[in-house]
This record gives sequence, structure tokens and C-alpha cells, in this order.
Amino acid sequence: MSKYVGERIKRTEDPRLIKGLAHYVDDIRLPDTLHVAFVRSIYAHARIKAIDTTEAANSAGVVAVYTGKDVAEKVGPVPCAAALPDLKVPDYRVLATDKALFVGHPIAAVVATDRYVARDAADLISVDYEELPAVVDVEQAAQGGALVHESFGDNIAYKLTSGEGDIEAAMKSADRTVSQKMVHQRLAPIAMEPRGVLARYFPGEEELTVWSSTQIPHLLRTQLALMIGIPENKLRVITPEVGGGFGSKLNVYAEEALLGWISMQLGKPVKWIESRRENVQATIHGRAQVGTVEVGCRNDGTITGLRYDVVADLGAYHQLLTPAIPTLTGLMLSGAYKIPAIQMNVTGVFTNKMSTDAYRGAGRPEATYVVERVMDIVAAELKMDPVEVRRRNFPKANEFPFHTATGLDYDSGDYEAALDKALDLSGFKSLRAAQAKARAEGKLMGIGISSYVEICALGPSQAMPAGGWESATVRIEPTGKVTVMTGASPHGQGQETSFAQIAADELGVDINDVTVIHGDTAIVQYGIGTFGSRATAVGGTAVLIAIQKLKEKAAKIAAHMMQCDASSVAFEAGKYSRQAATAAAAGTSEPVVPVGEAPAGALPEPQTNGRTSLTIQEIALAAHIAKEIPPDTEPGLSATYFFEPKNFTFPFGTHICVVEIDKDTGAVKIVKYVAVDDCGKVINPMLVDGQVHGGIVQSIGQALYEEVVYDDQGQLVTGELMDYALPKASQVPWFETDRTETPSPVNPLGVKGVGEAGTIGATPAIVNAVVDALAPYGVKHLDMPLRPEKIWRIIKS
Amino acid sequence: MIPAQFDYVRANTIDEALSLLAQNEDAKLLAGGHSLLPAMKLRLAMPSLLVDIGRIKDLAYIREENGRIVIGAATTHYQIESSELLKTICPLLPQCAGHIGDMQVRNKGTIGGSVAHADPAGDWPAAVIALNAEMIIASKNGERSVKADDFFVDLMTTALEAGEILREIRINRSTGRTGQSYVKMHHPASGFAVVGVAANLALNGAGKCQGASIGITGVAARAYRPAGVESALNGATLNDGTIASAATHASDGIDVNGDLFASADYRKHLAEVYTRRAISAAMESAR
Amino acid sequence: MKIAGTHEIQAPREVVYQALTDPQILQRCIPGCESLEKTADNTYVATMKAGVGSVKGTFKGNVRLEDMQAPIHYRMIVDGKGAPGFVKGTGIFNLEERNGGTAIAYEGEMKVGGVIAGVGQRMIEAAAKMLAAHFFKTLDDEIGRGDSWRPASTPP
Repeated sequence: MSKYVGERIKRTEDPRLIKGLAHYVDDIRLPDTLHVAFVRSIYAHARIKAIDTTEAANSAGVVAVYTGKDVAEKVGPVPCAAALPDLKVPDYRVLATDKALFVGHPIAAVVATDRYVARDAADLISVDYEELPAVVDVEQAAQGGALVHESFGDNIAYKLTSGEGDIEAAMKSADRTVSQKMVHQRLAPIAMEPRGVLARYFPGEEELTVWSSTQIPHLLRTQLALMIGIPENKLRVITPEVGGGFGSKLNVYAEEALLGWISMQLGKPVKWIESRRENVQATIHGRAQVGTVEVGCRNDGTITGLRYDVVADLGAYHQLLTPAIPTLTGLMLSGAYKIPAIQMNVTGVFTNKMSTDAYRGAGRPEATYVVERVMDIVAAELKMDPVEVRRRNFPKANEFPFHTATGLDYDSGDYEAALDKALDLSGFKSLRAAQAKARAEGKLMGIGISSYVEICALGPSQAMPAGGWESATVRIEPTGKVTVMTGASPHGQGQETSFAQIAADELGVDINDVTVIHGDTAIVQYGIGTFGSRATAVGGTAVLIAIQKLKEKAAKIAAHMMQCDASSVAFEAGKYSRQAATAAAAGTSEPVVPVGEAPAGALPEPQTNGRTSLTIQEIALAAHIAKEIPPDTEPGLSATYFFEPKNFTFPFGTHICVVEIDKDTGAVKIVKYVAVDDCGKVINPMLVDGQVHGGIVQSIGQALYEEVVYDDQGQLVTGELMDYALPKASQVPWFETDRTETPSPVNPLGVKGVGEAGTIGATPAIVNAVVDALAPYGVKHLDMPLRPEKIWRIIKS
Repeated sequence: MIPAQFDYVRANTIDEALSLLAQNEDAKLLAGGHSLLPAMKLRLAMPSLLVDIGRIKDLAYIREENGRIVIGAATTHYQIESSELLKTICPLLPQCAGHIGDMQVRNKGTIGGSVAHADPAGDWPAAVIALNAEMIIASKNGERSVKADDFFVDLMTTALEAGEILREIRINRSTGRTGQSYVKMHHPASGFAVVGVAANLALNGAGKCQGASIGITGVAARAYRPAGVESALNGATLNDGTIASAATHASDGIDVNGDLFASADYRKHLAEVYTRRAISAAMESAR
Repeated sequence: MKIAGTHEIQAPREVVYQALTDPQILQRCIPGCESLEKTADNTYVATMKAGVGSVKGTFKGNVRLEDMQAPIHYRMIVDGKGAPGFVKGTGIFNLEERNGGTAIAYEGEMKVGGVIAGVGQRMIEAAAKMLAAHFFKTLDDEIGRGDSWRPASTPP
């Protein structure tokens, strides 16, 4: 019975966030805390000849100064979990030792009695650099020249070819082939809360607690234990409130390990809160691919094959998943279409920049962008309607599960239904008429479509570097309150609400009786984390199945208490009832239950004598008191489940964007935005809308504004939000959103995931709209971000 | 984002602030702090003493005196944006204020602080040039007045000498039929003017321009008056053609700035486009 | 970041070249240069307090004169490091006799790193132009002041 699932339940997280009562890492204040400031490289590539820390170390209030030499043998390297054939993995020490390899590379750490002293002392450390040639341009770096890691002999971290089907034959059999170079510019995730770490070592207990703003508390615990060399069960990671991550906190960072180690050295709590400047420099970036796509098609618009040759700018080192991200691009190159042959040739390349890694979408936005741009390029080549080209290549609803030439099996879908709904919602025919009129008046108006598929619910463990399952424990406390513990620790998604909805419905209890606990490895069973649009599909399913397990036990206890056979107990709306037949046999009607007077401090005794129905909360109490449970049953009422998904899920949808371009300035204005998303069953439409809105905003950022720019010396010139342009509320249009609902057969909830849909589906819709607006100028493609000057130059020429 | 150490003194009067400035050549004045403090947090500015003049009562006011509009230097952008008096008699000022930063910036930042900082992309410099404002500067030796045109000397450099405080901005209230406008291309990240143009037109009943005063910011190292545009407008009957033709002179003789967002070429073009738009909008608004 | 231009001075080329390579004059011309001490031929250690408006930083570094072909050409290399980051500048000066005076054609390339590169990009070009203008204005003053080269009949 569904009282909460599917409803627009307000987020229970929000009151504390809105009132400023939530606790982020920096809100946790411990006595005697020391503060850490980092000296970071101001060069992209330099030999560190000497570091003079004397003046800093002698400053009043400075407790310790560490350089790379001090810690190289003490703290293990920053880990990379991606396993690819012949992958070169550089030794990534937590502080640079002999060379600095990117602007922002940490070189020294100052520990002081307050953060001001630490920051001042950092300025007193003098680093003697010998500047080396910076490797900046990824295509040049792939060819040779200066090397990021001399010992590797080149800048190539790996090469990988993926895909199925005979691509050569597919291209030959095509009526036409078209190719296009595309740049997916480097982006910074810019979570509202930067990273932060507080580490506290208890010398007596030999235990270390690390508070960190992370998406993966348990994986972080395992990795930190290995890096620092502390038993994993002596290390506790706590993830308090996390103000966004977008993938950037799906990682293990040098600072997290170093802070833990420093606390162990000094026996005091140590804290570091990342500044925005550090955040732009030294938190992972996303995207950064330069590729050429070649597509073969028949004259009727049928795609026969697609090849994508791409160089991926990995940065100087591998963070947790750096090299794996471009491989996700390869998986999704079939998009929403039947493409018989697909090949991706990816070259991962080292450059003197911050590492790239998972940023909302993580490899899939690149694929969707390639495929959705290709659809428009093919349409332009064949002078066909872009809508028709898409329709022609969609698999039909009855063709699912649908096998792609990238090796995936799409679970379920009806792509035409989402497209049709989006066309309807946008008033597509009248939009085309309006566009014709605008063009006749010399105005620039464009309509862009993107029909995307994404891969979510990451994922089956076979396909994941470190387990793809998720865990849940559900416990009903003696007082009837329900505790849900999830391994999928959220960082803004709202699992405290959505998982409570699932639990309250499944248990038939009031949602206010449910508390969702996450992000503390000392309390919550091992889990994987929140990323890859997996939390609900995998973690929510774990909650559901844990409850089902719990209910099996509760039913046994209920039968015992109601003195009947378990098979004659039925559960509905939070109550176990003895079925009518057996109730009649017992010959009792429900008696009035006297309220017992319990001695102070004692638990109330369940008043169950002769009852024919019991709430699950009453059963929980009985299970804890354990006087009325079957002899072969464990006391207590809790269950844990680790859910292993059998496949990924494949949400899809169609986004339509309408733009107007100011001919005088080249400025793009989004005048209409329609999104129809299908993320399977919806637990909370309000959360889904929020995810879609936020994702589209980040897509607008990529399409129009954002770009991490390193100059030719490798200096990061978009080092602050003064220059790195995140879209603001005033730059964002009204969104018209709707859904189709195709349940996923992969999990019993039927959910697919929606966390990344916006950043995957929207970017190409916006770019397609701008290219469409500029079609009168013969424009077939433009690289992002579509800044006004770029467009003005086209109009001018 | 932690500034270097500095001392802080809150001045209660202008004289007190002037004394403090005189005693410490490394002192900086703090008003709203929305230009200086970010630079200090990046340690690009490291004054040893901040003299806070932001709370001096008689530095924040908007009044009309003898046909002149007088504005205290510590008046916030928001106070100007929301001033009913200014909306009536000098709408360019509230309009310009509304383009500055965001709500928080407008609540704290001051007109005096902004013009004294002289950011090359600040909004106020264009407006005060277009309004032919006089900048009243106080020092130990009394007061002097500098025309807005002469106030902005170079990149972040003004006519203010060491030991001086910008006290007031004076604008002659226009008489007759006047049209004013400020238009701007916002930098998508910073909100600063990629190009900002303030236009202040005196028109006769027939729509003939009897006096045009234009200020342009964001284009060069400092805000400037495009003399060529003004002379083309003066005496002309304003229509799309005359306006467009006048606007072609928007960056005549100007060393146009280029950056990551807009090259010098593009900025030069934007200066013309926004000049045209500012003049048209000013003409539209003329009453 | 590159700047280029031509600056004309009403003085003989030899005099201008002399001034442009005289460490004492250079110290006064290089904006904010507080000291310039010779460490080798044509190589100096410098302390500069450079900046615009309230944005200022202290840089320590070197000034080196290279490829000297009196009186027509030389290259000046300035590099400095300080809390706001680093600055490296190369200036190529070509002197030509023109209109009875000297035209200095200059090409400068400036590279910056650290905070100034990360947050200052929108102003760097204007700042470089301003510093170059300051350099030549001071040079004019210096050459104008030292008028031993002037023939007695030339009005000052």
C-alpha cells in the first residue's frame, strides 16, 4: 500500500538546513583543535629544489610543518581503483616530493593553533622551484614533447578500444559518412560546500575518527586505513552534512589521509577546510575530452555505425576513478538508438593539470553529447527533420531488453513516448512556425532536441571497481520507532526523506516514526555510497528487501503472539491480523486492552493477550522484551540486506530547448525549456523535479558559461568564481517538466535513478538549439561554452 | 581566503578618519568592503590598518540641495537603488545601482567605495561621468572638488591623493526634458560590466538633442567619456540612424581591454552596441 | 600576455640606449623597483613593490639585460616572486632614429603565476599597459632631466 511513495513529501532534511542548524564538517568544533594550511604549487610543472620551512616552523603558534620528504614513507599513495589493461599509474604521494605536477599540488602542510596562524605561516615557507615545461594541450601531449612523468617515456596513460560490430563494414555500407571534431571542455564541479576534514586520534584507544565531506564514507575508511596503516576497525569515518558533491567527493584525497596521519602524530584534533580557491585548483575536474566522431548513415537516416576517437585529459595523476571515466563514455555511445556497429578508441593522457574524475554524469554526458549532436549533424546532412532521424533509429518499446553494440542490455524503455510527450508539451509544431516567422524577420531562433539514455544504478559488482551492491539495516526499536541505516550516504539528494517514504509504506507506519541514519562507519553497516544515480535503485531496494526480511520475522512473532499458524497471518497497513477463518476458530473477538501500570524505567509490557491483530510496532516491543517470541527466534527486530543488482538501469527522456540569439552581441537566451524524463517509478516527484532542475542548470553551465582554463604555462586562470561562471538563478529559465513512467525490471521498486539525467540530457539540447539558430549561417557544430563572442564572430563573418 | 594581519579602527567622524590616514601611510579606508576585502582575502592587498568609515553617520545620505543632488560617499548601492527621490529626479542612479553585483553586495557596498576603488569594470564610474558629477574630496587641508572626468586616472587609480577621503558626490539636477539610461552586459561570473554605458540626454520638445553626456565602463583601463559620440549627438535629431552613427565613435582613441571573456575586438564592438542601446533607451525614457 | 608599441623620445639614439641600460635609471623606470643591485655583468637583483591601486605585492627577483647591440637593440628579462605569485617579463627594445629623435619599438611578453594568474586575468593586460606607460613616462623624465647631450642652442 502506497501512502507515501509517489507523493510530494517535503524533505525532512530541509528545516535544519534552512535554519542553519545543520552540521557540516566545519561546524564540528572540538577542544584543542589544530588547523592545517597547505602550501601549494604555483607552477604547473616544476622541480622542487629545496623547501625552507625554518621561518614558518619558528613562528609563534606553529606546531608542526610537514613536507613531502617527511611523509613520503609514512603515508601511502593516493589510490586509484580503476583497473584497465596496461594502465600506467603514477606514484601519487600526499605531498609533492621532488616535483610539482599541477598548480595547486600540495607541497607542504603547516599545523598551527588557529587557522589564521597556519595561513600566515604558509606564506613564510619558501619553495625553490625550477620551472619545467608545462604539458597543457592534451592533443599535443598525446603526440609527445615534454613529459609529465619522465619514467613513463610518454604521456599516454592507457589506450583502449571498445565496442561491438564490424565498424569498417558498417562505414563501407553507409550511403554517407560524416565526421566532426568535438571538445568537451574541462569543468569544475563546485559543490557549494568545499571539501573539509577533521581528524581526531585517541592515543589511549588507538582509534582515529575522521570527519570528511565525502560521498563514500566506508570506501574512504578502507582506503584511509590502507594509506595510514591503521587497522580498519580502529578507524571511524563520519560524514556529517555534505553540501553537495556532484561526484567530486566520490574520491579519496591526499588531504584526508594526511590530516588523519597528522592527528596521529600530534595526538590532537586537526582540521582543514578547503577554500574556494583550493577547491577550483585541487578538487577533481570533470569532462575534458577532445574527440572526433565519425558516423555512417543511409540516405533514409538510418545510422549504420559510429566511431569515436578521443583523447581524454586525465590531469597529472589518477584520483580514484580518473582513467575509468572515459570508458563510461564508450558504454553509452549507442545513446537511444539502434546502431549496429560502434567503436570507441580512447587515449588517456597525462597533463600538468588537476585530475579529472567523476563529475555529475561522469563520462555519459560526453557520450550523449556526441550522439545527440550526431543526430542533428546527420539530419542537416540529409536535410531531414532531426525528430525523424531520431525516430528512425529508436528501438521500439517491444524490443527491450535491448542489446547495444557497446555491450549493454538496456532494461526497459519507450523512447518514442517520451519524445512525443516532449513534442506535445513544447507545442513543437507552433515552435517551428514561430521559428520560420522569426527567420523571415531576420531574427535568430533555434530549437534543440535531445533524446537521451543514461546508465544508472551503478551497478552490478562485476562491472564496478569496488563492489556495486548497497546495504541497508532496518530496525524497529522497542518504542516502535523505525531506524533505517543505509550505506548510500547522501550529499544533498534527500535519502532521509525518500528512504523513509519507502520504509513507512512497507511497514505501514507513520513517516515521522522513521529515521534514516547514514554516514557513520561506526554505526552503519558497510556500504558503497551515493554516486552514479544509484542510491534509490540500489540502496532503496536494499531498504525494501531488508524490511521484507524483517517482516518475515515479525510475522512469525505475530503468529506466535496471536497463537495461530504463521500462514494464517496477514499484513496490511502496519498490522498483522489473524485471518478470519482462524480467528473464528479461536472464538474470540478483540478484547479491550487494559493499560498496564509499568514501574518507572521499565519498558511497557505489550498488551497482547487474546488480540487478533497487532501493529508491527507492538511486535517490535515484544521482540525486544523477548518473553512472547517463538523459541527458535532471535530476540530483537532488525534485518540487514546487501542488495546486488543484476543489471544497470537505463533512464531516458527527451529535452527540448528553445533559444534566441541577440544578433548584435551573440548572447544566447533560453526562452523555453521542456524536459520529459523517464526514471522509472518515482518515489518522490518533488525530489525528482529538484534533481532534473539542478541537472539542467549545470548543463546550461556547460553549454553556455563554464570552462576551467589553464593558460599555455599551465596556470589556472579561472581560479575563482569571479571568472569561472556558474549559472545563477537569473540566468536560468523556467523549466516545464513532465515524465513518462516505464518501470525498471531490474529492481523490485521499479526505479531507475535520476540524479544525473539533467546534466546528461540537457547539454546537447541547448547546443543543438544554438546550432539550429545559426543554421542560416551554415553552422553545423560549435564547441562549448557558447560564449557570446564565439557566436558574434560567426554572425559577423 | 584568510587575509594577512591588519589593525582595524572604526572612525566616528571624517576628521578622525583623516587623522588616522595621516598617521599611517599604509592605511586603507574601508566602507562597504566589497572591493577591498576580497583583494585582502586573496592577499593581493595587505594594508596594515583599516579605517572603517562605513559607519560614519554623516557620510550616508541622499539629498537635494539648491538644485543639486548630493550623495554621501558611504551611501549604499541599495539606498540609491531604492531612493524615491532619485527615481524621480535622477533615474540613472537607481538604475545603475540595480545592475551592481547581487542583493548582498548592494546592501553593503557603497558608491564612494566603488568609485574610489575604480575597478575598470565597475558600474558607478560610467554613471558619474555621464551625470557630470563633482567629487568632493576631504583632507586635512580642507576640501577640493574634482570633476568625474578627471577623477578616474588609470586602472584602479583615481585623483585621490594619500590622506584624502572622497566625501560626497554632487550632481546638478537637470532641468528641462531629460532622458537617462544605463545598460550593461554582465560578466556571467563576476557580474561586473563587460561593457556598461550610461547616457544622459537633454532634449528639446522636438526630440533634438541639446546635450549628450555619456560614460563608458568595462572597455578600457578606466571609465571614460566618448567625446566623439557626444559631439555627434549634440544638435542632432535623434533617430535610429543618428544614434547608430554617433555610437560608432564609442571607443575612438581608446585602448580597448581584452580578457578571457571578451577580446578587445569584441569589446570594441560591444561598446558601440551598448552605446546605441543606452542612447535609445535614454531617449525612450525622456520626459 | 603580450604588449607591443612604439614610444618616441626627442633625444639621440645613443642617449636613449644609454639610459635604457643604466641601472640607476632603470631602477627608477621599473615600476615599484626599490632596489637594483648588480650581481654580474648586466645582471641585477631587484626588489619591486609593484601593483595597481590597492592591489600591491612585493616581489624579489632578477633583472637581466641580454643580446645587447648598442645602440639599436637589447632584451630585458625581469622575473620576480612574491606572496601574490610570480611575474616573468621579457621586453625586446629596438631603437630607431626617427624625426630627429628616437623611436623605441618594444615588444613585451609577461607571464604571471600564482594568485595573480588565478584571479587577475581580466586586469592583467590593462595592468601591463599601465606599467609600460609608467616605464616610458619615467624614461622621458629621466632623459629630459639629464640634458648634457643637448646642444647648447636647443631650447630645453
